Amino acid sequence: MNYFIGIDIGSTCAKTIVMDSDKKVLHRMLQPTGWSSLDTAEAIREKLEQLGVPTSESAIVATGYGRISVPYADKSVTEITCHGRGACFVHGSENLTVIDIGGQDTKLIAVESGIVKDFIMNDKCSAGTGRFLEVMANTLALRPDELCRLAAQGGNTSISSMCTVFAESEVISLIGRGEKKENIAFAVVDSIVKKVASQAGRLTLGDKVCLTGGLCEFDYLRESLSRQLGVAVETDPDGRYAGAIGAALCAYNIRK
Amino acid sequence: MSYDLPAKFEEFSEARRQGFLRVKQVKENGGKVAGIFCTFTPTEILDAAGFISVSLCGMSNETVPAAETQLPKNLCPLIKSSYGFALTDKCPYTYFSDLIVGETTCDGKKKMYEMLGKLKPTYILHLPQGHDSDPVTVWTAELRRFIAFLEEKFNLTITDEALRQAARQRNAQRQAHMKLMELQKQTPPPLGGMQMYATMEGTGFMFTHEDRVNKLNQLRESVEANADRSAFAGAKRILVTGCPIGGVLQKTVKAIEENGGVVVCFENCSGIKAAFQMVDTEAEDIVKAIAQRYLQIGCSVMTPNTERMKLLPKLVEEYKVDGIVEVDLQACTPYCVESFQIKQLCEQINIPYLAVETDYSTGDSGQLATRLEAFLEML
Amino acid sequence: MSNYVEMWKDLGMDLEAHDLLCQVLPTAVGDVFLTQENRPKAMDFWDLVISEVHGIRPAELIAAQKEGRKVFGTFCVYVPDEVIVAANGIVTGLCGGSQFWVPGGEAVLPKSTCPLIKASVGARLGKTCPFFRIADMYVGETTCDGKKKAYEILGEDVPMYIMDVPQMKREKDILKWKDEIADFAKMVEEFTGNEITAEKLAESIRIHNEKRKALQRVYNCRKSKCLPISGRDALLMTQISFFDDPVRCAQMCNRLADELEQRIQDGVSVVSEGTKRILVTGTPLAVPNWKLHNIIETSGGAVVCEEMCTGTRYFENLVDESGTTLDEQFMALSQRYMKTNCACFTPNTGRIDDIIRLCKEYQVDGVIDCSLKFCCLYDTEKFTVSRALKEAGIPVLSLETDYADTDAEQLRTRIGAFIEMLNG
Repeated sequence: MNYFIGIDIGSTCAKTIVMDSDKKVLHRMLQPTGWSSLDTAEAIREKLEQLGVPTSESAIVATGYGRISVPYADKSVTEITCHGRGACFVHGSENLTVIDIGGQDTKLIAVESGIVKDFIMNDKCSAGTGRFLEVMANTLALRPDELCRLAAQGGNTSISSMCTVFAESEVISLIGRGEKKENIAFAVVDSIVKKVASQAGRLTLGDKVCLTGGLCEFDYLRESLSRQLGVAVETDPDGRYAGAIGAALCAYNIRK
Repeated sequence: MSYDLPAKFEEFSEARRQGFLRVKQVKENGGKVAGIFCTFTPTEILDAAGFISVSLCGMSNETVPAAETQLPKNLCPLIKSSYGFALTDKCPYTYFSDLIVGETTCDGKKKMYEMLGKLKPTYILHLPQGHDSDPVTVWTAELRRFIAFLEEKFNLTITDEALRQAARQRNAQRQAHMKLMELQKQTPPPLGGMQMYATMEGTGFMFTHEDRVNKLNQLRESVEANADRSAFAGAKRILVTGCPIGGVLQKTVKAIEENGGVVVCFENCSGIKAAFQMVDTEAEDIVKAIAQRYLQIGCSVMTPNTERMKLLPKLVEEYKVDGIVEVDLQACTPYCVESFQIKQLCEQINIPYLAVETDYSTGDSGQLATRLEAFLEML
Repeated sequence: MSNYVEMWKDLGMDLEAHDLLCQVLPTAVGDVFLTQENRPKAMDFWDLVISEVHGIRPAELIAAQKEGRKVFGTFCVYVPDEVIVAANGIVTGLCGGSQFWVPGGEAVLPKSTCPLIKASVGARLGKTCPFFRIADMYVGETTCDGKKKAYEILGEDVPMYIMDVPQMKREKDILKWKDEIADFAKMVEEFTGNEITAEKLAESIRIHNEKRKALQRVYNCRKSKCLPISGRDALLMTQISFFDDPVRCAQMCNRLADELEQRIQDGVSVVSEGTKRILVTGTPLAVPNWKLHNIIETSGGAVVCEEMCTGTRYFENLVDESGTTLDEQFMALSQRYMKTNCACFTPNTGRIDDIIRLCKEYQVDGVIDCSLKFCCLYDTEKFTVSRALKEAGIPVLSLETDYADTDAEQLRTRIGAFIEMLNG
């Protein structure tokens, strides 16, 4: 058997990683999750076959909230374990704290010697998650990445409500009051960062802190988070694949 | 020994600023400060022991995020704010305290004190819950134990005479406070609720008995002489009840007074609820007399809370109230649950009632204003 | 449960609503219990009781009432059953473990009240709990704010007696609780018309100690590395023990313990080797709340102990049987009940000691500290519990949940990740 595959079906995006027996990443795939995780899983399978990666002969681990919807996976592992392992791989360190801001969940994971030692996950509500950013960006008629860029130029405004629904109406009233868009964008990012920092307060942060998940490419968010936490937060272009990479790494334990 | 003032000093109100300076001075002169949280705290005992009692109740959202790193989110903002101030050393009153005195009142405070106890020396008084067969005996014993603790810990003597003197002074202050609040019985009322509250809050941060009484009396006299009685002519007369509201004044009391209402009566912790009961200073057993006085406070931690049920209808009549607004802090189980019975009571005595639940953020200001405005329109 | 329609009608229950409740229960029982493999045979008793949970026991209670006995409904493990039984009274638990009753409770209570309280009040007001229809007297206590205040509302609908539970555990508080038990005994005597003598109370204390010993025997079997019973089955046993006759409860638990001890000797385990052993701690799990155990045990873990009211807090610590006067016996009762460690006390460091001790006794791999939403007592204690456990080198996961199923997937992810973490 030649291929080790990690499939991370998140709430907004599905990420797939294919590795060879030397843990070299051969393929990266990204697609929206859409309405049905099952359909997404099937689409991924077809793409893999097209790439010449036979799913029936590969070791496959599924993760993410859609992990139970991948019928051809050999095993499912939670996204917490996968993000922990994946981040270690991406950042080349066995000791770090992972902040994963996902579409629906925000996770903080403490990894020591490559093993997850503790973790925190937000509760049902979407405060401080990618969904929060997305909803606010929609309200401002921006894309999430545009919102983050714009936020860098703003300041002096705050959203006090942590609840996405209430925060949205706060944003609307800020718009109604004629507040500058960049200031509102600043307030949105600030709110996410504060929320994440308050969760981080419940965990002992390691020397190395890295940001994974879909938001890791947003520089301003990373800077802002670094400031709030008082520690340099690192990112990597492969950060959004951390979950899938971790899942692929878990696949090496599968005997077929 | 000298102490620094906090960075935010200049932003505080006059009374509070004076309070800061004075507490600093007191400390520098070797004085003792007790931090308190509750109207059940027997201040007479602290007075007699030579302590200055200062309320440590947090009224700002500023320290809530810090508190939430250790305390649950679903906890009343007053508790979170207070603990946050202690945790971040942002409150000089907490910082200056030689002792913090807490009581087994509500679940949230009870558990918060355990954690506060790790940061500051904290003493907990066991308050009866209202179903004790003989609460006076139990509470008196508890107060005696507290007296003995203070005497031993701080190497001092608390005499009965000192307690009587303290009780006389606290009574005088309560009477001055009541007289000031009673001005609001007039139609139209001479003061707005916002002004009244600022006064009550300010005196809480004055450290000598004379200052507090003089301030209250001066204010009353000046209001009697100069008040612009037209300011609230025709406004709907509102009684505010429920949780302590120092942290939510702007979005409740101010919103009421900007929308055709005027708060003529505060039936909550800094208002009448804990001001009208006097200690019988001539009683044979002064400690028992003090105990009896505090057990008449109608707080919802008591089950059943008959004192509040008795007091509200009386106040509605005396202050010619048009409507009752209950302001509860989020996750305050005792008041939030009791509000169901207050609603029933209001139906019985035929007085309009609105209950709102809020926290220290500003997120719900608009929504609250709408509800309060609609309530006032209804009156 | 169709044979009991007449009885339910006589009890004044809302039959239509109750039917809806009866429809969901068998599926839940099937999913949670009957899918398990290799269950102890002696579980047949509890399977029967749960299948007719609103029928068998209520019918017994009604029959006893016809003989003139009084039924007392209780809400909390601090109420001394011994006193009631000594006056020939019967103690029963009450409904409060299902989302079904929550909306009814929310009609009179704030949404931000714990689901157990909302469900209890909803079960009474909605007339869908036979136990809440049968009891002649309800005994509440000043434990947490939510219950304390909810009893006031419940008291408008049913006769309630409130016991004043101390908030601290100093010597004087134990004395005070003894006085409170004596007052309670007076009320029970008047209400039942039966005198409580030292002989009768001694006998009642003995009966309840036997029940505790039997429950403990089953729990002792869960300490074995060869795990002879699932957490779900053990939880069901504990939950039902709140409703059962204490003598029969002891018999049935002993019968189960016989089988479990044999299983350990024979090396029969219900889980595969290496399954992570979990201790759950926190707020009570009332019937039919099996969500937490079910998720843990279908995610690669096994629950080996509950440090909960529906667990060790219910039966650990026996009452000293040497007292010969009522005064001595009331004191012995007070001392026993004040050993129970609930977050409603301040301070409550005894609970942390208990958890760490139980972790050793039950050879635990990890602790799940789970509280019901809006229980600020247990929620606040999570910080100190988790700090102490980390210091002791025991992994801990803190959770908060309610009776709704909406967070099941999130819980599954967290619990799954926790067990993966334990697996290393």
